[in-house]
Amino acid sequence: MRSFFLVILTSLLLLPELKAQEWVVPDDKKGKLSTFSFDDNTRKAGLKIYTTNCMSCHGMPGKGNSLKLVPPPPDPVSQQFQKNSDGELFFKLQIGRGQMPSFKNVLSTDDIWDVISYVRSFNTNYKQLIMPVITSSAYPGSVIKMVLSYNQADSSVILETSAVKGLSSVPVTDAAVKLFVHRTFGLLPVDEEKTTDKNGKAVFKIPHSLPGDTAGNINVSARFTNEDVFGAVSMDTVLNSAIKGTAVSLVARRAIWNNMKNAPVWILLTYIIGLFTALAFIGLVLMKLRDVFIIGDTLSKGGENEVNN
Amino acid sequence: MTWQFFKQIPMSEKKKKEVPEDSKLDDIVESSRRDFLKKVGIVGAASVTGAAAIYAGYRHEKEKPSGEMVKVLTEDNRLVEIPKEQVKDYKPDLKALQTRGRVGLKGKKWVMVLDLSKCRNARKCVAACQGAHHLRPYEYHINTLVMQESHNTPAYYMPKTCQHCDNPPCVSVCPVDATFKRQDGIVLIDNERCIGCRFCMAACPYSARMFHWQKPKGEEADKGQEYNIELNVPQKKGTISKCLFSADRLREGMLPYCVSACPNGVFYFGDENENAVTNGTTKETVILSELLEKNGAYRLMPELGTKPRVYYLPPKNRIFEFKQWTPPEYIETT
Amino acid sequence: MTTSHSGSARHKERLDSVAEDVLRNVRFNRGFILWMGFLSAVLLVCLYAYVIQLRKGLGVTGLRDITSWGMYISQFVFFVATSLIGMLISSVLGLIGYKWVKPIARIAEIIAVAFAAVAGLVIISDMGRPDRFTYLFMYGRIQSPILWDVTVVTTYLLVSLMLWFIPLVPDLAIAKDRLEGRPKLLVKVYEILSIKWVNHPKQVEILNSTIRILLILIVPLAFAIHTVTSWLFALTPRAGWDSSIFGPYFISGAFVSGTAAVIIAMYFYRKSYKLEKYLTDFHFEKIGRVLALVSIVYIYFNINEFLVPAYKMKALDSIHLQELFSGEYALLFWGVQLFGLLIPTILLLFRQFRKPLPMMVIALFVLAGSWLKRILIVVPPQAHPFLPVQNVPIQWVIYKPTLIESLVTLATLILVLMIITILSKLFPVLPIQELAEEENADLEKQEFNN
Repeated sequence: MRSFFLVILTSLLLLPELKAQEWVVPDDKKGKLSTFSFDDNTRKAGLKIYTTNCMSCHGMPGKGNSLKLVPPPPDPVSQQFQKNSDGELFFKLQIGRGQMPSFKNVLSTDDIWDVISYVRSFNTNYKQLIMPVITSSAYPGSVIKMVLSYNQADSSVILETSAVKGLSSVPVTDAAVKLFVHRTFGLLPVDEEKTTDKNGKAVFKIPHSLPGDTAGNINVSARFTNEDVFGAVSMDTVLNSAIKGTAVSLVARRAIWNNMKNAPVWILLTYIIGLFTALAFIGLVLMKLRDVFIIGDTLSKGGENEVNN
Repeated sequence: MTWQFFKQIPMSEKKKKEVPEDSKLDDIVESSRRDFLKKVGIVGAASVTGAAAIYAGYRHEKEKPSGEMVKVLTEDNRLVEIPKEQVKDYKPDLKALQTRGRVGLKGKKWVMVLDLSKCRNARKCVAACQGAHHLRPYEYHINTLVMQESHNTPAYYMPKTCQHCDNPPCVSVCPVDATFKRQDGIVLIDNERCIGCRFCMAACPYSARMFHWQKPKGEEADKGQEYNIELNVPQKKGTISKCLFSADRLREGMLPYCVSACPNGVFYFGDENENAVTNGTTKETVILSELLEKNGAYRLMPELGTKPRVYYLPPKNRIFEFKQWTPPEYIETT
Repeated sequence: MTTSHSGSARHKERLDSVAEDVLRNVRFNRGFILWMGFLSAVLLVCLYAYVIQLRKGLGVTGLRDITSWGMYISQFVFFVATSLIGMLISSVLGLIGYKWVKPIARIAEIIAVAFAAVAGLVIISDMGRPDRFTYLFMYGRIQSPILWDVTVVTTYLLVSLMLWFIPLVPDLAIAKDRLEGRPKLLVKVYEILSIKWVNHPKQVEILNSTIRILLILIVPLAFAIHTVTSWLFALTPRAGWDSSIFGPYFISGAFVSGTAAVIIAMYFYRKSYKLEKYLTDFHFEKIGRVLALVSIVYIYFNINEFLVPAYKMKALDSIHLQELFSGEYALLFWGVQLFGLLIPTILLLFRQFRKPLPMMVIALFVLAGSWLKRILIVVPPQAHPFLPVQNVPIQWVIYKPTLIESLVTLATLILVLMIITILSKLFPVLPIQELAEEENADLEKQEFNN
C-alpha cells in the first residue's frame, strides 16, 4: 500500500518536471515538409547517417537501448517519437536542445530528410506529404543571383543580390545574409549576419587578423540565412583581402629531433671528431704492431744489422 | 584573379561524411546489411579513387560533359587543364606512399583542441581510431583517461592522443629516423624502418606510444596491402605504433577519425596557419586564437618544453555530472 | 721495464718456472671439455627460448607498454658496467704505477672483452626487429644516444681486445716453443699471433709505446661507454631517470661490479689453476682495498641520487621513491643496498675480510647486488609515468619477467662465461714475461709482509 502512494507521489512530483521538458516547435516550422518522396534509397541513406550520428545516444530503433540521459533520448520506434510531425522532427534535428546536438552544420537539409525517411519506416501508419517545389517564395519565378566584390580602402566585402526574371532584374531587399571564409574543414563566419539594403547590398568587414594563403587570398562564400525563402543560393569568390599566410615548415630549423641533415652542428662535429680521433689512435697502434712484425721478420731472416740501424 | 563558379552546398558535404568504418551493426542493420555493404563498397571505392584524385590533386567542376577540359593540380602545385578522358586514377606504390608520407602537407600546421568540459567518456573516439588502425580494444592511439589531481580538485575525462610536440623527445632519441616530424607538424612512425628498440616509448612523457608485442590484430586480413605510413596499416609485429592525427584523412581534406566520431563536440581540429579549427561533431568552424583565449586553454606538461600541438580547454561549467567509469576487464588476446 | 739482455741464468730459470706454472693450464683437459659441453647444452636450451621469442614477438616476455624495458636492458647495463674494470685496473692503477696490478691486468681485460662483446648481443635480444639491426648503420641518426652507444661499445671492445692481445704477444712467443702435447692448430695460432716476436729491444720499445697509447685512449672511451649508457635513461624526462648525476653514478657503480667480478675470477684462477704463488694474499688485500674504495664512492653517489629528490618530494619523484623505499620494490631495494653494498663495504674495511675466501663470498654478494641494482634502475621509473595508466590489461601494470625472458638473459651470461673460458684456457691467463721480471714487485711484497 505504501509503495502505491509512493508511486503516486513520485508521479505527481515528476509531472511538472515532464511538462517543463516538453519541446515546443515554433508553429511556422511544424508544417515543413520534404520536397522529395521517401523511398528505399532515402531510407538506406538515412540508416547510414543514423548509424554514424544518432545511434550512440538513441540506440538501435526498437531495441530500447538508448543512452541513460536526462531527459532520455527517445527510441525512434516509440509513440512519443513518432507523434512528431515531419516539420517538428526536422526542426529538432536541425536546431537541437540541451544534450541533443544541433546538426545544422553537420547534416544538409537532404540528409536530415533522409534520416526522417529512415525513422518513419518503423511507423506503419505513416503517410508522407510532399511539399511542392518553390524556387523562391519572395521573388516567384526569378533566379536569385549574388555578386561579391572587395573594397581595399576599408577592407570590406560588398555583396550585391538581385532577382533576375527574363530581362528584368530587381535587388533582393531585406534579406538576411551571411559571409563565410573557407577553412580546411569548414566555413568560418566573417563579421555578423547582415540584411540587404534597398539596393540589395550588404557590406561585411574583413577582420585584420584573418590569414589567407601565401598570396593573401581567401575563398569567401555568401549565403542567405533563410534558405527556405531564397533557396540554397551561394556565391564563392577568391578575394585578395587577407593578410599573407606564412607557410613556414615546422622542420626547417636545426634541432636534435630533426633528421641528420638538420642536426645541430655541434653534435655532428663532436661525434665525428670523437670517433675519428679514436679510430686514428687505433690505426696508429695497428701500424706499430706492423712494425713489430716487420722487425721480427727481418731478424728471423738474419737481418740484425738492418734493424739496429 | 577572380574566377567564380556556382555551387550547391549540401551535396559536396554529403560525400565527405561517408567513411567505410568498422561499425558493428545490430539485427536491424543486419537485414539491410547487404545493401549497406554494397553501398559502402561503392563509397569505399569512390573514396579510394577520390584519395588518388586528390593526391594527383585534381579539382574539377562537377558533372561536365565528356570531352571537356578539367583543371588538375599537379604535384608541384600548378593548376593545369587536361582533357577529361586523360585523367587516370593514380594508385601510389610503397615508395610513393613513403615519400609523400615523410614530406607531409605543405603550408599546414595542424592543431587539435579538446574541450574537456564536454567529454563524457563516450569512447567513440577510441573505437573509431582502433577500427581505422586495426587495433585491439586495449591498444591505444587515443585513450580516454580519468584525471584527478587530488580529492579536492575535480575529476574529469581527458582523451589523450599523441601531442605531436614541436620539440618531440621521442623523435630526438630514435636511432634510425623511423619516427620523425613532418613539415605540417605531425609526428609519424615508419614501421618499415622501426627496429623496435622502444627508446621513443621511454622518452615520451605522454605515454602516447604503443608497441606490437605480438602479432597485430589485422595481420592476416591486411596481408598484401601496401603499407601506408599515414595510416600505419598494415601494423607490424615488433614495431611501434602511435597516433598519426589521421594523416591519411587530412590528405583527403577530412577530419581525423577520432574527431569526427565524437558525439559530444569535444574535438576541434584545424590548421594553425588559417587560425581556424572545426568542431568534429557540430562542424562549426571557429577562430582558433579566440577559442583558446576565451576558454583559458592550456597544454599538457608545459614545463617539459615539449611544445605540444594539442591544446586542452579546462573542464569547467560542465552541463553534466561526472560519472565514474569502470573499465571492462581487458584480457590480452592473440 | 727494459729486459735485461744479459741472459742471466737466474732470469732464465725464473722464466721457465713461471711459464711452466702458467702454461700448465693451457690445455684441453677433461674439465675444460665438460665445462664447455655443459655451457653449450644450457646455451642451446636458452637459444630455443630466443627462437620462440623471435617467432612470437616480444610478447613472450613480461614487457608491455608500461614497462617496456626490463631484464634485457638491465643485463646490458650490467655488462657494460662490469666491462669497465679493464680500464680501472690496467689503465688507471697501471698508469699510476702500482706494480701489484700486473698479474691481475690480463684477468681484468679478459672480463672487459667478454662483457663488452656480449653487451651488443644483449641489445639485439631486446630489439623488436633484430632482422633490422643493420639499419643502425644504414640509417643511423647521430643525435640518438643509441648510436653513440653502438659506436663507443664497439670501439671500447676493439681497444680492450688490443689491450688484452698486445701484452700477450711476448708471452705467445715464449709459449709457442713450450706447447708439447697440445694440438698442432693451437701451436700454429700462437705462431701467427706472436707476430714474429723475438724480444728485440726495438720491438719492446714499440710494444710499450702502443700499450701506453691504448692505456690513455681507453680512459675517455670507458667513461664514454658508460656515461652514454646512463644517458639512455637520463636523456628522457621520466622521474627516477631524469638525473644529472647519472653518468658518474653509473661509472662509480660500474667499478664496484667490475672489481667484484675480478675478485671472483682471481679466486677461481688461484684455486683451480693452482696459481697461489702469483695471485697471493697480498694481491687480494690490495684489490680488496680497491673494492672498498669504489664502494664508498658509489655509496656517496647513492646518497646524492636518492637524498636530493627525497628531500624535495616532487610529485612523480615521490611516487618513485616511495615505491623503492616502502612500496613494490622495497624488499629488493633494501636488500641490494644493504647486502650488495653497505655491509660488504663495512666488512671490507677490516683486514680479516680482505682474505681470498671471505672476499670471494663478499664479491659474489656485491656482483649479485649490482645485477639487481640495474633492475632497480631500469624498471621502477617506468611503472609510474606522467599520466595515469588506465584501461589496460591488469598484468601490464606490474612487470614480471617470464621464463623465456630469463632464459634469453641467461644465454648472454653463458656466452660471457664461454668467452672467458676460451680466453683463459687457450691463452696464458697471467703475463709470463712480466712476472719473470717481477723483482720490484717482490720488494713491494716484502715491505708489506714486514
